[in-house]
Amino acid sequence: MLNVNGINVGYGRAMVLHDVSLELQEGEMAFIVGRNGAGKTTLLRTICGLMKPSKGSITYRDDDTRGMPPEKLAQKGFRFVAQDKKVFSDLTVRGNIELAAYAAGEDMPQAIKKVLSIYPGLERFMDSKAGGLSGGQREILLIGRALVGDPRLFLVDEPTEGLAAIVIEDIFRILSKLKEDNVSALIVEQNLSVVSRLADRIFIMKEGKIIREISEKSEMADTLALESYL
Amino acid sequence: MSYLTSHSAPSGISATKRITIYRDMVLIAAGFLALSPLLAMHRVTDFMIFCIFVMSFDLLYGYMGRLSFGQMLYLGTGVYVSTLFSLHFSPNPILSLMAGVVGGAIVAGILGLIVVGLDGASFALTNLAFNQVGFFLIGSAFQKVTHGEDGISAGVEPWGFLDFANEYVAFGFVLLCLLLTFYILRILTSSPYGIVIRSIKENESRVKFLGYNTFFYKWLTFVLAGAFAALAGTLYTLYVGFVSPVFIGPLNNVEVIFAALIGGAGNLFGALIGGVLFMAMKDSLSTHITQWEWVLGVLLLVIVFWLRGGVTGLIKTMYNYGKAKMAKRAAVEVEKG
Repeated sequence: MLNVNGINVGYGRAMVLHDVSLELQEGEMAFIVGRNGAGKTTLLRTICGLMKPSKGSITYRDDDTRGMPPEKLAQKGFRFVAQDKKVFSDLTVRGNIELAAYAAGEDMPQAIKKVLSIYPGLERFMDSKAGGLSGGQREILLIGRALVGDPRLFLVDEPTEGLAAIVIEDIFRILSKLKEDNVSALIVEQNLSVVSRLADRIFIMKEGKIIREISEKSEMADTLALESYL
Repeated sequence: MSYLTSHSAPSGISATKRITIYRDMVLIAAGFLALSPLLAMHRVTDFMIFCIFVMSFDLLYGYMGRLSFGQMLYLGTGVYVSTLFSLHFSPNPILSLMAGVVGGAIVAGILGLIVVGLDGASFALTNLAFNQVGFFLIGSAFQKVTHGEDGISAGVEPWGFLDFANEYVAFGFVLLCLLLTFYILRILTSSPYGIVIRSIKENESRVKFLGYNTFFYKWLTFVLAGAFAALAGTLYTLYVGFVSPVFIGPLNNVEVIFAALIGGAGNLFGALIGGVLFMAMKDSLSTHITQWEWVLGVLLLVIVFWLRGGVTGLIKTMYNYGKAKMAKRAAVEVEKG
């Protein structure tokens, strides 16, 4: 479904990704794990069109998406949930969902239903300013908003970062539901408990390269072994 | 285009919201009518034209977050296109007005393709540069047509009851144009289009991630702002009847920026209040103080440091404070009772 082939990406002359390749199958939930500075976020930002590789190719269902602008990728079904948990703070929660619904051409009741299906608790904040939500609620809103329209590929950057344990469980439940629904997703995550329970495949990154790809269930469940890569 | 006026969504324009808009329009009309006995009627007409200009600027700056130092270019385009149209094509005031507005929109449409890809200081200064070029073209390069610094009289003639020499007619017509501008901008800014441009102001790349072509929305907003600024310009042509390069002078951009900040940016009422306050201050201060602009400088400092939301922001803060205080008092009484 998604093929990244030997891409090199850098900021100016400083190369961050070196000959990175990965493949994601339809309905697969894959995780990217690695230390800070390994290039995980850069890889996601490149796939979602924010950065252009100087070498290599990115194809999605045989379409060349390398260097394609984010709005075109969004229309193809790419959904990027960034690490900073930034919502449109001046809009209400409903306004945030509306913005996604209009872009996707989806009816508002249907869009709201999708968002509430992953976290019904958001209903009582519908008419509150999104800027007043907690970090966890904002992350949930962002993931929920990404469900609006016809999402084909989720690119999620560190969804549990900086969240309390109880909220991490909520995020875990939401990601589990996405997995049950066979949503294709590539997720950067450092919380190995979440990774080992949800991953169909794990890519380990170090110094701008994918140094290992794990798809064996037993290996993925071994959080101690995974921890050695962090 | 359905994004611009979709009525299906909850934050689209519901019947209740339309009633609120009509109520606001009645209030605005009543406000300007009430001002006319206090000031001379021709001054209030001037105020209203300036308020249309401030609203056009506010769409760009207050709603979409793009500060332009070149909005006078579009006001000036409206002024000169309508004047030249009235002299060379038709003296009909309505046709001259339409020509001015279309002229402003076309110039904004062409230049918008260049400038809307920019933001921050680049956007502000590129607009200033274009304004300066426009000023040069009107004042010097096309002097044979525009009469340069000497200025030029418009050839607009009365059309039916529409005689701008009659100050009541001029007042009524300008008020109508102001209310129409307010109505259109309120509808647009409350529609999904309004949500998109406010979101562009907050975080443009995230709007792109949702699938929006933000370039188109920014360009459209730029054209609308240019067209409404040109409308203000054509009204000056019709009302004043004599135009000169002062109507396209880049230095005058300061006035519209001040007015928007005084009233509170991102709020059409703020644009109206700011427009009226600025013009009233300009009138009264300039008659008493020779270098009156320094007072504006001090006022700007006050706004930047203490009153970021301008007058409307202050009113809102005071209202919320009063509401919270009353709620607290009610809670204490319930506890006692």
